[in-house]
Amino acid sequence: MVKVEAYEVPEGLYYSKDFEWIKIEGDKVRMGITDYAQKSLREIVYAELPSAGAEVKQGEPYGTLESVKAVSDLVAAVSGIVEAVNDEVQSKPETLNEDPYSKGWLLVVIPTNLQAELANLMDFNQAVEWHKAQAQSK
Amino acid sequence: MARRVIIIGADAAGVEAASAARKKDRTAEITLVTQEKNAGYSRCGLPFVIGGHISNFSDLIVYPPAYFQMLKLNLRNETKATAINTKEKTVTIVDKAGATEVLPYDSLVIATGADSFMPPIKGKEKPGILSLRGIEDGEKIVAAVKAGAKSAVIMGAGLIGLETGVALIERGLTVTVVEMLPQILPQLLDADMAKQVQDHLQEKGMRILTSKSVEEFLGEDTVTAIMAGGEKIEADLFISAFGVRANTKLAVEAGIPLGETRAIKTNGRMETDVRDVYAVGDCAEAPNIFTHRPICAQLGTIAVRQGKVAGTNAGGDYALFTGILASAVTRLFEIEAGATGISETAAARNRIEVITGAISSKTKADYYPTAKPIKVKLIVEKESQRLIGAQIIGGEEVTQRINALSFAIQKQMTVRELAKADTAYAPPLCETWEPMVLAAEMVLMKLR
Repeated sequence: MVKVEAYEVPEGLYYSKDFEWIKIEGDKVRMGITDYAQKSLREIVYAELPSAGAEVKQGEPYGTLESVKAVSDLVAAVSGIVEAVNDEVQSKPETLNEDPYSKGWLLVVIPTNLQAELANLMDFNQAVEWHKAQAQSK
Repeated sequence: MARRVIIIGADAAGVEAASAARKKDRTAEITLVTQEKNAGYSRCGLPFVIGGHISNFSDLIVYPPAYFQMLKLNLRNETKATAINTKEKTVTIVDKAGATEVLPYDSLVIATGADSFMPPIKGKEKPGILSLRGIEDGEKIVAAVKAGAKSAVIMGAGLIGLETGVALIERGLTVTVVEMLPQILPQLLDADMAKQVQDHLQEKGMRILTSKSVEEFLGEDTVTAIMAGGEKIEADLFISAFGVRANTKLAVEAGIPLGETRAIKTNGRMETDVRDVYAVGDCAEAPNIFTHRPICAQLGTIAVRQGKVAGTNAGGDYALFTGILASAVTRLFEIEAGATGISETAAARNRIEVITGAISSKTKADYYPTAKPIKVKLIVEKESQRLIGAQIIGGEEVTQRINALSFAIQKQMTVRELAKADTAYAPPLCETWEPMVLAAEMVLMKLR
């Protein structure tokens, strides 16, 4: 893992420019929001997530995060069918602030077009560069 | 069709308004227009970067680019709003490249802030007079310090002037502060309280000249000295901290009325006299909670509270602004100073009869080794016996006492009720008798 300014960017994940990460776990994909996203939104107080069985599409909203001051769509990093939803972030949304890459995962999906869609995502090195550019433009 | 919300200004008030509008309307098209390169940073933090407590000016950015993207806020930075047409409901903007665009709005929020004020002093057009309003101003001051400036003159002993003075002393400069009025921090404290702060600053090496006006800027190509009270003061660095003036040009040109403070007039919804046009922050006036007279206190906390109200209304929902007590705090070397409500001076000016009480105590049990001094002054309206103002200076723990007294004033607490307050106690944390309660008892004795 590296830190770009104050933002953590772990290795082994793919990243979207909508501030999501995915982790490929066999034939499934786990997804969540980045450290940069949670630090931008700050105290997250509500997570609205789809139910198991729902379909998500790359680049399209599938849920909502609300913090004390902000509200933001969750935009799917890959397309797929939702297999599992993290109940803990719904009952304890602060988990997203405390541990966005591990305990704060949002969905596990069965991807429907993963290989093609990976081309639209950033690997670790690209994500580090992108985070640097974001921090620069501050 | 989606609601179109335009916000002119992307600092404390503007970004807060945009966030509140987004919370209320998930589909609105929200556009923020700012002349600055950076949006959503803390101006209040600038002196602490100069003093070296914060590493970089970019650390002051509260809302990074991701915030605007995640909230779908269309940020137009380095873009100037040049005209508002309230009949057509449009705003004309010009970007850095000079391209003009006319944007239609359903709701407009004016959050144009305030600009540093320069009185008509002889030689004021000479280069070399800095101010401290934005990051770019801060960078200029830091550059001058790095280039070897050894001395500074600060004109104005308000919060920004003194915080900047402290920062420059921390960077090793010798600092002279010139204040026209007979006391420092005239907006915040009464003279008796201000004197104690002044003594502390002078002990730390700050030279403070009160009751002295800046009469002239001297120097050939650039300012090298000022004349103040007949004395020539030379320095390497000159900082204008005379105060700020509401930036109302756009509003005035659009026919949006100003109020008696010469800031934009607003109602309880933070709406101007023109429907669907709101004004918030340093450019707007709103009523004082006690006097009901409009004031323009130009504080960050007021900006965000007003921004939230205007943004909520601009987003189609409903919210009211409760008014201003102008609660404020500062830290100058080892002393904290804060105030809320009306000062004794302001009460006299408004012909409000008051009884005051002040008490000097400690921040911990008197016998506890690290206890620091603290002084609480209360201002109580004579007839109703209501608390209407408070000032505190001390070594620590000033802020939350100011907040507590602000709540008390807002809830119209009488001094008799405050004297009976149920407070907490433990020797390493506070005194048995809370200083605020003792100060209330002082006032009660005078009322007997």
